[in-house]
Amino acid sequence: MDLVRHLECFVAVAEESHFGRAAARLGMAQPPLSQRIARLEKELGVRLFERSSRRVTITEAGTLLLAEARELLARSDALLATARRIRDGETGLLRAALSPEFSGRTVAALLSDFRQRHSGLELELHELSTAEQLAAFAAHRLDVGVIHHPCDVTGLELGPVLRRDLGVLLPRGSAQAARAEVPLASLTGYDLVLFPRAHAPAVYDHLLTACARGGYTPAAVRHGQGASFVRGLVLSSGAVALGPRDTQLADPADPDLVWRPLAGAPLAWRHSVAWPKGRGDAAVDAFAEAATHALRTTADARAETAARPLHLRPASEFWL
Amino acid sequence: MSDTTTAGRLHAAFADAGVTGLLHAVDIDSGAQVGAGADQPVCTASVHKVCVLVTLHELAAAGEIDLTEQVECPPAGRTPGPTGLAAMLDPVRLSLRDAALLMMSVSDNTAADLLLRRVGLDAVNRTTARLGLTRTRAVYGFGEMLATMREDAGPAGTRALTDPHVLTRLRALDPARTNRSTPRDMTRLLTALWRDEACPPQYGAAMRRVMGLQVWPHRLASGFPFDDVHVAGKTGTLPTLRNEVGVVEYPDGGRYAVAVFTRTANPAATLPAADAVIGTAARIAVDALRAP
Repeated sequence: MDLVRHLECFVAVAEESHFGRAAARLGMAQPPLSQRIARLEKELGVRLFERSSRRVTITEAGTLLLAEARELLARSDALLATARRIRDGETGLLRAALSPEFSGRTVAALLSDFRQRHSGLELELHELSTAEQLAAFAAHRLDVGVIHHPCDVTGLELGPVLRRDLGVLLPRGSAQAARAEVPLASLTGYDLVLFPRAHAPAVYDHLLTACARGGYTPAAVRHGQGASFVRGLVLSSGAVALGPRDTQLADPADPDLVWRPLAGAPLAWRHSVAWPKGRGDAAVDAFAEAATHALRTTADARAETAARPLHLRPASEFWL
Repeated sequence: MSDTTTAGRLHAAFADAGVTGLLHAVDIDSGAQVGAGADQPVCTASVHKVCVLVTLHELAAAGEIDLTEQVECPPAGRTPGPTGLAAMLDPVRLSLRDAALLMMSVSDNTAADLLLRRVGLDAVNRTTARLGLTRTRAVYGFGEMLATMREDAGPAGTRALTDPHVLTRLRALDPARTNRSTPRDMTRLLTALWRDEACPPQYGAAMRRVMGLQVWPHRLASGFPFDDVHVAGKTGTLPTLRNEVGVVEYPDGGRYAVAVFTRTANPAATLPAADAVIGTAARIAVDALRAP
């Protein structure tokens, strides 16, 4: 029996308390997962879960074994990471991902820079949302990626966090389009076009909060992502959209739409390279450097400015 | 195994609030339960003050401590915090049980460390072990926990706590290296407390009283906006972490221990939706337990 693989299944079911979700997290079907748990229970001579038609509950015995199972898996990860590092880093495959907000120019710059740094290594680059990347890290299907903050960074190591200032897309004829920089509060009265919230609730909320902080609370948020759909909304329905300077719709030659920076740069996308803690190596470092360089040179990304004041309220309970 | 409505709704509620959430809820009298990641290790933060409270009353019941004993709390050397003794400027003299009230009602860090020093960290771990909380452990006091955060945050101090790099290295956010428990262990503690199995009834009543005097309305209590429903609880908060464990009591006699531990994707300190989802999730769980 492959004990490590079986213990992975045990921990996943224990953490999800649900065979379906555990199977999804492990990237496998539910029947083989149930079989593995049954086999493990037989091998250990211990019942790990109580199953009913509605839920799965870990047993007292399962609880006692869970901590040791986690420890063993962590050691197994460490062993594999060490083996990776012992290999020279010049051969093999690096599984990497980019979130979808980058232009073709950025992707091309990253790929060619990485090839120069690490010509012997095969780079398998995927387009994955931040949520998909975090799930793939947990399932050991991804080595490194460029993620969008804020997100849950538990268990990750990060490269430098870079910001891409957001500007606003407006109809060319609008009053604000005449200004070199648009104050956020002057957008009052326009609806806002934004990606659907379910794609990344934290990023979505963070952006709307930053808009509100800057004096712009749109009466309505319209959900759209495709370039032509967003363009249509901006041109015909009293809405504006936000995006970095290299956003697809920010074409200076466009006869109908203009992109303008926001005064004081109150809004930004934030990105960094990320990889699972303890699993970094020469290839991951090379990707991190190539990605950071590509973002700086092609995506208008720069280092984060000084942190804003943070007023903790009494319900925060802690105080440094 | 098909996705149950309750599990699905809990998952959706947490995702919608931008948090990863763990929950365990149990009907104190029937033992029926609802869980979502109920056995995952969690950082307790100020939730561990419930363990200090129970230990204090256990020692009082054993005759080793007098709850009306007066203690001095000088301004120097107080554990920092935004409430209670921690925020006061002048010398204070108060009883142990009033210190417990401050610890529970406003999460007073100074009061908590004062009591923790009085009972001892080992006694707290003995109490939780005796109650069968095998996954619960206190490794240090609240002042020491805050000191590791100061150290890990570096010279920028509090404002560094929204920096993702700092968050990845905060020891206080790693259950393996800080005060810890699981949602299931916490409902087990509350069940013992409400069933008078942790301490004799007069001490149980005193503990339930102070847990019912917690001032915060934004988490567990927000899920039960009903005048005839009683909510008692204890919150815990650290950067990206928002917790509350408590007991919800209905006038028909139904009483439910609930433990909710969340971690936000967004490191911002002020996130009303992340606080409120603790109440929302608790209500989903309690409604499921109350369903005919």
